[in-house]
Amino acid sequence: MRVVSPSRLLVFLVAAICAHSLAFCLNSSSDPDEPSNSTYHSTVSEVRLVFFATENNRPVQDLQKDDFAVIDDERVIRTFRSFSRTTALKLDLIVLFDSSDSVLPNFKQEMSSVMQLVSEWPRNSEDDLSVLSFSGTETHAVCAGDCRRSLTADQVDSSPKGGTTPLFDALDTATSLLSKRRQPDVLPVIILFSDGDDTVSKDSFGRMLKKTLASEVQVYAVDVNATAPSNGSATLQKVAEDSGGRYFHSGDGATKIFSEVINDLHSERIVTYALPQSSSDFHSVRILPTHNLNLQFRSRRGYYDPSNSTH
Amino acid sequence: MKKSLSLIFVFCSLPTLLLGQRGIYQHGSVVRMHMGDCVLAHHGFAVAFGPASPMPQEYCPEYTLLSENVVYVIVGKSSNQLIPLAESIDFRLHKNELAVRVDDAKRETKFTIKEMIVRSEWERIQRHMDQQMRASENQAAMSTRD
Repeated sequence: MRVVSPSRLLVFLVAAICAHSLAFCLNSSSDPDEPSNSTYHSTVSEVRLVFFATENNRPVQDLQKDDFAVIDDERVIRTFRSFSRTTALKLDLIVLFDSSDSVLPNFKQEMSSVMQLVSEWPRNSEDDLSVLSFSGTETHAVCAGDCRRSLTADQVDSSPKGGTTPLFDALDTATSLLSKRRQPDVLPVIILFSDGDDTVSKDSFGRMLKKTLASEVQVYAVDVNATAPSNGSATLQKVAEDSGGRYFHSGDGATKIFSEVINDLHSERIVTYALPQSSSDFHSVRILPTHNLNLQFRSRRGYYDPSNSTH
Repeated sequence: MKKSLSLIFVFCSLPTLLLGQRGIYQHGSVVRMHMGDCVLAHHGFAVAFGPASPMPQEYCPEYTLLSENVVYVIVGKSSNQLIPLAESIDFRLHKNELAVRVDDAKRETKFTIKEMIVRSEWERIQRHMDQQMRASENQAAMSTRD
């Protein structure tokens, strides 16, 4: 058996202690507050769904969390992270009106409807209300920010008129504006006045609809067609229903339409739940009752998976 | 004597009949729902696998109902035949159909049974599908990062 001398053992011990200290110093030399080179990725895995409940065509006031289930891409979801009313939320609202050739015969009536809507909007609310028009090949800003106080009939009247109808491009512009200034506690809404007949847009109907759904904007469409419903009416109806909004015909009367829109927007519910797994990027959504089959629910038709950055 | 014997028989069998009536329902939970083809619900297998019919396309609700041991895929007979999607619903099998209690048990609504599968087997398939989906999601995330 080989015997190690005490001096060699001492040298070995000192060397071991030095190596340990050096390693410790190297490890602790980086400031813990300094950002490290590692990047951590996380995805927001929550779905937020705004919806409206009615029973025999009347709004339901006392809806409870267990009165409904969400069908998200075929899966039945009954466990929700939150459930509340939208009354606590601010609205970011764009009134978008058609001023192209095809609506000019009824333009005066359309203008008075826009003015009535803006003037009737509840003044005590903190909602943002902007007004845009579209004609020719462009979308024009008529009034931005707090239009409830600043919009005048002259402003509306002096907006560009005539020419072709870039409806899909205008919806795309309004959606982009709302998306850019999107806040978590704000609901984006477009109230659209048009005959629904697009004649010139660069954007297709499908792409515009996809963008609207991806941005969670609700569209309320007021059909200003004087005659019987047309292809344009079907377009307006599709955009409104798929986005969780509603379709009206101007013949229903401005007062009735606006009181319904305002009531609707201030009495909706929001439910949130964990994002379910799905093999497709698009999740179709439907809300159905758990007990009372007379309950009916209106919400957007679906959403694009938020964890997929391409949308 | 005969009369009293039959009375005793009726009294004895009554509780059994009542219990039987109450116990005919099984409990289950709907976990999936989508609008599918109505063909099977309207005409059965013969038409489902026969030549295409010129009738306009109609969509009927299709539900996946989980009971204790069996999973049923059932199809409604019209587009508006809905089941309340409560956590637990009562149902029973009746003449090759599945009858679901609705409106607080006041009435039943009948569905065509499209598929039946043992629950343990169904759960195994679901687990496998979930794993595959997660794997493809991870793969997509990795390729995005690269």
